[in-house]
Amino acid sequence: MPSTKELRARIRSVSNTSKVTGAMQLIAASKMRKAQDQVMQGKKYSQTLYKLLMNLSSSVDEEKENIPLLENRVIKNKLMILITPERGLAGALVGNINKKALEVIKSSNEKYTILSVGKKGYRFLNSRGHDIVEQLIIPDRPELSDTIKISEIAIKGFLDKKWDQVDLLYSEFFNTTSQVPKSQVILPILTPDSTNSIESKDYIYEPSAYDVLKDITPKYVRAQIFQSILESFASEHSARMVAMQNATDNANELIGDLTLDLNKARQETITAELLDLIGGIAALEGK
Amino acid sequence: MAKGDKGKVVQIIGTVVDVAFEQNNLPQIFHALELENEGKRLVLEVEQHVGNSWARCLALGPTEGLARGVEVTDTGAPVSVPVGKHSLGRLFNVIGEPIDDGDPIDKDAIKWPIHRKAPDFDQQSGSVEVLETGIKVLDLITPFAKGGKIGAYGGAGVGKTVIITELIRNIAQEHSGVSVFAGVGERSREGNDLYHEMQDYGVLDSTALVFGQMNEPPGTRARIALTGLTMAEYFRDEEKQDVLLFVDNIYRYILAGMEVSALLGRMPSAVGYQPTLATEMGDLEERITTTVNGSITSFQAVYVPADDYTDPGIVTTFGHLDANVSLDRALAAQFLFPAVDPLASNSRIMEPGIVGEDHYNAARGVQQVLQRYKDLQDVIAILGIDELSEEDQIIVGRARKIQRFLTQPFYVGEVFTGIPGKYVPVTETVKGFLEIIDGKHDDLPEQAFYMVGGIEEAVAKAEEMKKQIEK
Repeated sequence: MPSTKELRARIRSVSNTSKVTGAMQLIAASKMRKAQDQVMQGKKYSQTLYKLLMNLSSSVDEEKENIPLLENRVIKNKLMILITPERGLAGALVGNINKKALEVIKSSNEKYTILSVGKKGYRFLNSRGHDIVEQLIIPDRPELSDTIKISEIAIKGFLDKKWDQVDLLYSEFFNTTSQVPKSQVILPILTPDSTNSIESKDYIYEPSAYDVLKDITPKYVRAQIFQSILESFASEHSARMVAMQNATDNANELIGDLTLDLNKARQETITAELLDLIGGIAALEGK
Repeated sequence: MAKGDKGKVVQIIGTVVDVAFEQNNLPQIFHALELENEGKRLVLEVEQHVGNSWARCLALGPTEGLARGVEVTDTGAPVSVPVGKHSLGRLFNVIGEPIDDGDPIDKDAIKWPIHRKAPDFDQQSGSVEVLETGIKVLDLITPFAKGGKIGAYGGAGVGKTVIITELIRNIAQEHSGVSVFAGVGERSREGNDLYHEMQDYGVLDSTALVFGQMNEPPGTRARIALTGLTMAEYFRDEEKQDVLLFVDNIYRYILAGMEVSALLGRMPSAVGYQPTLATEMGDLEERITTTVNGSITSFQAVYVPADDYTDPGIVTTFGHLDANVSLDRALAAQFLFPAVDPLASNSRIMEPGIVGEDHYNAARGVQQVLQRYKDLQDVIAILGIDELSEEDQIIVGRARKIQRFLTQPFYVGEVFTGIPGKYVPVTETVKGFLEIIDGKHDDLPEQAFYMVGGIEEAVAKAEEMKKQIEK
């Protein structure tokens, strides 16, 4: 049985932890709200953009192969853009993304080069000896301009044939309690065959559908990357808020248990001391 | 002072009886007195001379029905019990009477008094030889020395008796010499079970058993350990043999002393223990020792009241023993049997020079990993395992595997677990744990390590589990 002193020290340390996790929960909650708003707004934009792209590509059939970002080459090298949080304490989020990344890399026949966004993924893959081309840091509340560099590296490398496919691996945001790691191919842009395109509206493009498509493809890639960053941030803050909430609850529960132990230990000591005293007195009186 | 002197019962306080003798006829301390109570022989042991020619005695039997004025006879000697070949294969009570419904003991059997002096310093021997038990956790963490004293500590119902019985099965069966079992204040049923088990194993003929279980008065429980010990001492000193002595449970000896202490008029000391606690313990434990003549290897179960290892009774026993096996309720609650706590258990001979470099490294490695896991437990409880760094996650995984690999199916537990018992040689044990620490088995599921023998079995079990999942 630990002494009351030990128990008190532990209670103090756990309650300090609970204070910290409680504060982190509040911060994460406020950041989460903003990040979720951004995701929701971005989702609409990227969806519209996607539809437009589909539309365009179904209108342009024969010349599609000439648009560089649509080019399907024989795949020799791949780039993975791995988006992870900068910081931990976000529950299983980081672990899940890293696990997924490893899974993707292992199941692929071609060699992957990694472009890492966020420290957690970098550390994980670096310690396993994977080839990392660059490590970037994106600030909180990202703007599109913060992410341009990522898309530029990806596009330039694709055009220079450094890699023939670019994958995006990030945490897809569904809601506050659910985030799933997602692997998505962004280059070459996959366009469906014109025949099974879902809604094909007959627009007239100026100067031509081909030119619009050519111009819009890099923008689409940028938007995709930006959106995935937004989703990652929303996921991170949501996961952190939930994790910190659980941590605070667990810490409080632990404090409850320890307090119970402390009270028991305290009472036991008092009883033992009383008994010793009473026993001693009784024995002395008997003489 | 002499055999045959008569006295009369003048006061009975429960189990303590005062007997008045005539002037100058007072019997000596620790001498036995006899009287007839309701047609049965009752033996008293003189503990104190309280004045007025009164001898204060401890009854080594029930005092119900005893009345003042009953005549008491001095036997002129301490309680003496049969030793040597006459004691083997038999079951005795505290005063050396057979209680197995067998033939009476031969009249010319050698009898030794149960109060004896501890061997002198120059008689004691110091050689060290490791004794293999076949139980992984004990061999690894608390290697036993031949001729050493081993204590199994634990609260109520964590498996002390099971460990002692398994040791009897594993060691006594291999052991060529004689064994003595002393049942002190434990369940009578267990004594009965043990008797029949020993018969089944075929070791009864080389074993003497003495029982003073919890149904007996405190006087019996306070002396029964001495009875058993005296039988063991005879084999050591006279027949120069290596003897195994099992005592279950040594704490009941302390408890019995505590029960009679106040009745004998002593002032209670800390936590109500007798003021003579350390003396009583020393009187018993100092006699259990290995001499130049022969060795006594003793296995003692020690009950820990309220799981409190700081209890004075427990602290007093700690110092006497060479190897301390601590049983932990938290482990028993997780069904990790035997519930030996590798961090709280230790052995005097855990040195590289004695057990070997590999063994030492394995044991210390296991303790390091488990200690790290214990340190991380608060973090895991609050933040969850995902927040640990990768290295720590690996350590936690290994620690959980080690915890499971420390379990072992027991022969005596076969009726409970349905898994046949396993005997694991110490080299196998060391090899297995070294492999886990080195991370050779990081990819196996932790359940594969639960209740297996050697490491090969764990690997085979993992293989089987994999097949079953694939199905």
